[in-house]
Amino acid sequence: MITVKNLQKSFGEHQVLQGIDQTIEQGEKVVVIGPSGSGKSTFLRCLNLLEVPTGGEIWFEGQNITSKETDIHALRQKMGMVFQQFNLFPHLTVLENITLAPVRLKLQSPQQAQEKAKSLLERIGLWEKANAYPGQLSGGQKQRIAIVRALAMNPDVMLFDEPTSALDPEMVGEVLELMKDLANEGMTMVVVTHEMGFAREVATRVLFMDEGKVLEQGAPDTFFGNPQHPRLQDFLSKVL
Amino acid sequence: MFSYFGAQHLLWMQGLQKSLYRTFVEKDRYMAFLKGIGVTLEISFFAVLLGTIIGVVVAVVKHMSKKHHFLRPLEWLLDAYVLVTRGTPVYVQLLILNTVVFASVQNKILVAVITFGINSGAYVAEIIRAGINSVDKGQFEAGNSLGLRDGAVMRLIVLPQAIRNILPALGNEFITLVKETSIAGTMAVNDLTKAAERIGGATYDLYTPLLSIAVIYFVLVFGMTRLLKLFERRLARSDNR
Repeated sequence: MITVKNLQKSFGEHQVLQGIDQTIEQGEKVVVIGPSGSGKSTFLRCLNLLEVPTGGEIWFEGQNITSKETDIHALRQKMGMVFQQFNLFPHLTVLENITLAPVRLKLQSPQQAQEKAKSLLERIGLWEKANAYPGQLSGGQKQRIAIVRALAMNPDVMLFDEPTSALDPEMVGEVLELMKDLANEGMTMVVVTHEMGFAREVATRVLFMDEGKVLEQGAPDTFFGNPQHPRLQDFLSKVL
Repeated sequence: MFSYFGAQHLLWMQGLQKSLYRTFVEKDRYMAFLKGIGVTLEISFFAVLLGTIIGVVVAVVKHMSKKHHFLRPLEWLLDAYVLVTRGTPVYVQLLILNTVVFASVQNKILVAVITFGINSGAYVAEIIRAGINSVDKGQFEAGNSLGLRDGAVMRLIVLPQAIRNILPALGNEFITLVKETSIAGTMAVNDLTKAAERIGGATYDLYTPLLSIAVIYFVLVFGMTRLLKLFERRLARSDNR
């Protein structure tokens, strides 16, 4: 579904991604871990071109998204993204946040979008907040609504950029719970996180990134049970 | 002693009554004031409209040119516009536009609207630019990540938040604009200030009409302030963050 070839990204002199090769298949749940500054968020943000790569190629559903001719806006409709800081639109109600893009992009009629939003909100138990503004919600509610907003577009893949890092500890659980549900339904997911428990439980593959490279990857059992690379052993000894 | 002041007071009151009568009632001069208010409001309204349109376009183009490099030459042009407009007095701009650029245009109200609109646009552009910068970068990214194009993100997500943040500054600019239109009378436009001057000339009493229009301008601006407050409160509905 997503193929990354020799992906490179530099900010000025500083090369953040030093050549990454990855293939992500449909239905995979790839969790990316690594120390701060390892380039894991940049890697994720390159996948939907929020960061423009300085080298290499990214293919999504058979299209080279790094090519100038590709309509990245159309492809982004198929890639949901969830941010650390939620990034709900504060001037719009919860319902408007969810229906804005599908309606504006004419993917759904206003009625369809409304019904879709309703069923998604009911699913996470927040339908009664439909007309509230983001400022009136808790962090956990905001992030779950941000996830729903991305889901309303019927994406083929969901990208999560440290979705629980800005949350109070007691709210982490509800967000991870929703992400697990998604995973169980077969959603293809790429998740950058520090939640090792989530990686262990949900991931089909875990990547360890450091200094702009993928140093080790594997199924969670072997990845956590028998880490090979000394940097990963060191990292896991600190976080586990 | 006491009655002397009383008599003075009475005389003064009679004098005031007489000047007010001559300024407003005699020969239906209040009509000239009303027409003057109409012209002032007309110039102000359309100049604010023009200035806002120019300001938004300039600010958005300048913001977009950071990402879309083909807009760069246009950005330099707009920078020059803002620099020149803010760097020269509006009275001089009015004189130049009226006597040089639009010398053949008979509709002087239109000339005034264009002058004040262009002038205000430069200030509005800077205010809106500050407003756009005040919106978190994550808002642009969230909009883009949903597949919305930059134009839609700007219009639906960023500008509504930007305008709310800058409403007080924008209100200030509009108030300044209304008062600045008082120089429009220097060309043949019968705005409120010009009406006062002409009536003063006819009655040999400038004092009463000038004080009167000071009060009228104050009331106009006060009304605007209230309207802006109302608008601000409406926009603040979602503000519990």
